[in-house]
Amino acid sequence: MNAPKPFKAKFEEKIVHNARYSEYHFEMIRPHELDFRSGQYISLLVDSTTGQRRSYSLCSTPAAQHGFELLIDHAPAGVGSQFLSSLQFGDEVQGIGPMGHFVLSEQPEQVLVFVGTGSGIAPLRSMILDLIQVRQDARDITLYWGMRHVEELFWLDDFQDLVEKLPNFHFYPVISRPTNGWSLSTGHVIDLLLAHKLQKNSGFYICGSSAMINDVQKLLFEKGFNKDSIYYEKFS
Amino acid sequence: MPTKQIGKYQVSVINEKCISAGSCVAIAGGVFELDEEGIARVIDQNGNDDETKLLAAQSCPTAAVIVIDTATGKQVWPIE
Repeated sequence: MNAPKPFKAKFEEKIVHNARYSEYHFEMIRPHELDFRSGQYISLLVDSTTGQRRSYSLCSTPAAQHGFELLIDHAPAGVGSQFLSSLQFGDEVQGIGPMGHFVLSEQPEQVLVFVGTGSGIAPLRSMILDLIQVRQDARDITLYWGMRHVEELFWLDDFQDLVEKLPNFHFYPVISRPTNGWSLSTGHVIDLLLAHKLQKNSGFYICGSSAMINDVQKLLFEKGFNKDSIYYEKFS
Repeated sequence: MPTKQIGKYQVSVINEKCISAGSCVAIAGGVFELDEEGIARVIDQNGNDDETKLLAAQSCPTAAVIVIDTATGKQVWPIE
């Protein structure tokens, strides 16, 4: 694993997905590249007066080392969210990274299952795009993504495009509080994991709240999977 | 023979807050390690300098690392 290093980057682009989630793109300044593995995160200095930092998973792939992308959940409206919202294009940010052990395993798992809720999709997107676009991995890949409200979803077209182009990629968005017109799965990611047949030789990558991760782990243990095939990153 | 603390910062981990992110270990691997359960623990107060220890604490996503200035007895991080 690469040791984390201090870096400076320039705010380059912002994509507002909806009222809650935005994507922030940065270009590396010093050093010129961020050498990371998909699934890792960085720590950004969000208040230079107090030294407060916030950690954000990288949602872009390591192939684009000259820059990186972050998915920000503005709902907490905390110091990190406020700092990022205040950025003007061209502003410099200071960070340290990459960090984290939530990365693709070298284990010979034949099926990969990704389970995320909310902004937990960020590192999973990095991993999935890394697998599909960079490594051209032919293994069966399934993504379960849970959200509370339909209007909070994004990247749907991107994932749907992958489903249409790749026979080995499967995508199941699930909404816990659906409104009229939502025709896909309702409930929680664990409901789908309960209902679907899970292959024995699967590796599971889970990201989101501690409660969700604990529930999914418990279910997987009950289904006979062991901890060696379960990788997770807790966001809270 | 007890070892003498070199820096003035003393760190500790609130186990209940640790989510195994590992940022403390990544930044100050001489001071912290993750135990068998993935919870951070202090292995050597002198494993890194004070600046690095503070940076490791500031990088913890859940503010699980506490830094005390032994010279003043005051908590340096998280800011109270």
